[in-house]
Amino acid sequence: MVLADSESAVILRLRGPLDLKCQLDSIDEVPMQKAISRTFEALRLQVKSESCVLAVCNSPVLIWPNKSVFEEITPDAPCEDIFQFIQTDDKETSGKRSTKKKNKKGVSASVINLSLMMEATKPGPVSAPILTRTVHKSHLLCATLPMDCAVWSSCSDTIKDGCERLMKALTCQLFDMEKVTLQCMKGTTLRVPEPLHFLLPEPNGLVTVVFPSGVLDKELEAQRRELHGQFELPDNRPFFRRANAYHFPNETYRDGYLRNPHTFLTHPTLDNGKVYLVQGIYSYHHYMQDRMDDNGWGCAYRSLQTICSWFQQQGYVERGVPSHKEIQQALVEVGDKQASFVGSRQWIGSIEVQAVLNHLLGVTSKIMFVSQGSELASKGRELANHFMTEGTPIMIGGGVLAHTILGVAWSETTGEIRYLILDPHYTGVEDLPVITEKVAATESHHFRYICELKNILYASRDLNVNVDFRRAGVAGKDLTFGIKLHITTSVCPRGRE
Amino acid sequence: MGRSYIVEDDVEGYLSRLCSLLAGPVTGLLIGQSTVQRDFVVMTTRTPQNDESADGGKSVDKEWVSEHARQVSRMLPGGLSVLGVFIISESDAKDTLTTLRQLVFSVENLISSERLWTPADDDVTDCVTLHVNPKTRKTVCRTFDVKDPKSVAKPADWKYQSGVCSSWATVSCCLSVDLMVPLPENMAFTRNMNDCLKEELKVWAQQIERGVCLIDGKKLPEDSELKAGQKKNVRQTISAQLLITPDVQTAADVVQRCGGCVSVRGAIHSRVFLHSNKPKAKLAEKLLKRDIVSTVATRVQMLLEEPQKQTEENKGRKQTEQTCLPRRVFCPVKSSGPLSVCDYQFSDEGLSEMIDRFKEMLDMDAAEEDLDATREIIAEVVESEATEEEEPAEENEMLDPWRNNYIGVAMATAVALLALAASIVYLSDV
Repeated sequence: MVLADSESAVILRLRGPLDLKCQLDSIDEVPMQKAISRTFEALRLQVKSESCVLAVCNSPVLIWPNKSVFEEITPDAPCEDIFQFIQTDDKETSGKRSTKKKNKKGVSASVINLSLMMEATKPGPVSAPILTRTVHKSHLLCATLPMDCAVWSSCSDTIKDGCERLMKALTCQLFDMEKVTLQCMKGTTLRVPEPLHFLLPEPNGLVTVVFPSGVLDKELEAQRRELHGQFELPDNRPFFRRANAYHFPNETYRDGYLRNPHTFLTHPTLDNGKVYLVQGIYSYHHYMQDRMDDNGWGCAYRSLQTICSWFQQQGYVERGVPSHKEIQQALVEVGDKQASFVGSRQWIGSIEVQAVLNHLLGVTSKIMFVSQGSELASKGRELANHFMTEGTPIMIGGGVLAHTILGVAWSETTGEIRYLILDPHYTGVEDLPVITEKVAATESHHFRYICELKNILYASRDLNVNVDFRRAGVAGKDLTFGIKLHITTSVCPRGRE
Repeated sequence: MGRSYIVEDDVEGYLSRLCSLLAGPVTGLLIGQSTVQRDFVVMTTRTPQNDESADGGKSVDKEWVSEHARQVSRMLPGGLSVLGVFIISESDAKDTLTTLRQLVFSVENLISSERLWTPADDDVTDCVTLHVNPKTRKTVCRTFDVKDPKSVAKPADWKYQSGVCSSWATVSCCLSVDLMVPLPENMAFTRNMNDCLKEELKVWAQQIERGVCLIDGKKLPEDSELKAGQKKNVRQTISAQLLITPDVQTAADVVQRCGGCVSVRGAIHSRVFLHSNKPKAKLAEKLLKRDIVSTVATRVQMLLEEPQKQTEENKGRKQTEQTCLPRRVFCPVKSSGPLSVCDYQFSDEGLSEMIDRFKEMLDMDAAEEDLDATREIIAEVVESEATEEEEPAEENEMLDPWRNNYIGVAMATAVALLALAASIVYLSDV
């Protein structure tokens, strides 16, 4: 696929349904395959025809790519010019314009959404319709192909070039879809092919892969292995699971949870300091969500949910985020709690979180105890290191409070440290500006922290390699605990992008 | 605050002639365009004689009038519709009003029962009635709201004017139609096909309604005014385009058993007339989509109304039957600007039969040379017992389907050769 340009790039995304309809006289494998192939060929001709239209969403811009007709814009203008025609909805709160949102790679990408349509009108005179009736015991294949193509366009690309690339991608996708449909065909059971986009590390960039819908990730291991080989990707990290699919800026998540609210903050500047942050995507879980009133006792549960969401969204597990009941049930199952625990409003601590992560997700974790605030400050290097190498969120809990650490701003020379905390005690709605004010915690408390090691998980589950990266000396390494600490955890100053 | 109807002068002449010619009550239809902004009556036609009527046409036959209205309604292009009923009689005004009320409700019910498009909020639901006394030539005009069964007569204005539709605009387009619907496995031949087809037409009608309409190549905002009727007596034609997206299929089983299928493939010519008083883009779009749906539905309906050949079911063997839908032929309405009416010609009919129907239904005198039969061509039809509906190119050796363009080239050639006949590609390449 096309390489990502590090300058301000534009993603052209074309989506639209195409009808896959054909009569199957025979359901024997070979004739059925031929019939399906013929139908796909007809679709490819259809998108190459002059009646194919690309409509830029929320704008009057229309393009007939196969006959070079451009409505409202000139073909030689740069792609970015399209933005002036787009009427944004202003659903974003407090006028935050996140059209040019910087993602973790430092590339600011804006998306132009286009719709695939067909022109039904044509010049006359025309041939009056014919009604054809066929009586024959047969089968009818009737499905909708959810076309979804995305191409990068650098600032020097004209609209004409961009459209040409899109149309090539569309034809390519139809070939891929045909391949996947025929490969996954079993008798009369057909899987509708589904395109997904993945943002791979340089130099690959944005890549589109067609998977059969309704097939679980674990059954697609062979395809994923092939893709890893094709793009020369390491085998110990997931890239092509459904959860890894690229989320386009401005697209809302269907489940309604906010993703990575910490990215909307500006970071503190320390002398010789650097910021070390959680890698990847997590969703923000806090009090009162999912109609669960856990105000006052559920903070550790919510922190655990945030951690589980990280593993799900990076593609390590398919299991969704567990509810409070499921967490409690898991603790009963491992024998940590009595059966009466389920449905109660009892607090859990780091030991319980570790047990649940192990039981429900198969994640092993390390617990480190800290006795004094000053001691945590000295862990700056270790925290920084953790975020650089593992990049998973850290749960910190002690007494009756729990929080999630998402990053640190740490100076190697001065030892100064600031913590970026995700606060599960928030009880409001999923409103971004309100939340960015409350992300940071200010209370002082004592805490322990848990650090997740993801290498263990992935390596041992997917490649059947029995590798144990457990660090020596964890078990039984108890420092004294229980002393109330007074640590001022400074907050990352809030700001607007 | 009643409605105000602007009526073409010719209508006055026609009604006068009816007054002097005939004895006994005469009924007929009032045809025109009724919008939120204005109401226009551009044509009238008397109810044809019912030779089989019991009393020789002395009394008003509600069903006969309604049936006439239904047939006339099919002959009106977009923008024109049956607005109401007139009666020429010396009877008491009050009795006549009751009769008129019954007639408009009956007419409206019958016509709307055939409609496949959903009524819009800004549709006018008032129907007009006109009572003309042949002796005094006095006209009484009232309207009824046909959406309200309890509605009472409201007074309305009836004003004659010349050249009402002289600067009306014509919006037209040619649209491809490609429907395919499976037939159930155990079918009672004809009846099931009718139902399946009607269901599919409803789905298709919704797809058309959702389509994006372009006027002169642009998507105009709803309330923008079309540049129509700015110059008197200048005929204006506006071209329209329609962009559609298919329905998203949600059935769990992608492959389903069926007992065959019915398809309707080809194209139609759609035409809409718009009044010249600053018509809005929204109106043009609404009327165009309705005409598109109506013309296809009418033709399918007409085909299904024809006596069907009862072919015996040959078990196991594939039977294919093709029938042409009738084509649309236009006839200009004399001295009424750009307006025309239309009728549908089956492949076994000649233009003379159409002339007869224009006379009978619309009381119009037309000659064959007046008719415009150039918009649609009747396609070639292949009637055979067991046809393979696939293009010849597929009978080749096993080719790698996703890397070889051979099939593509062969198919493109096949399609080019049969450009005028019915398309045989599964999904028609427009």
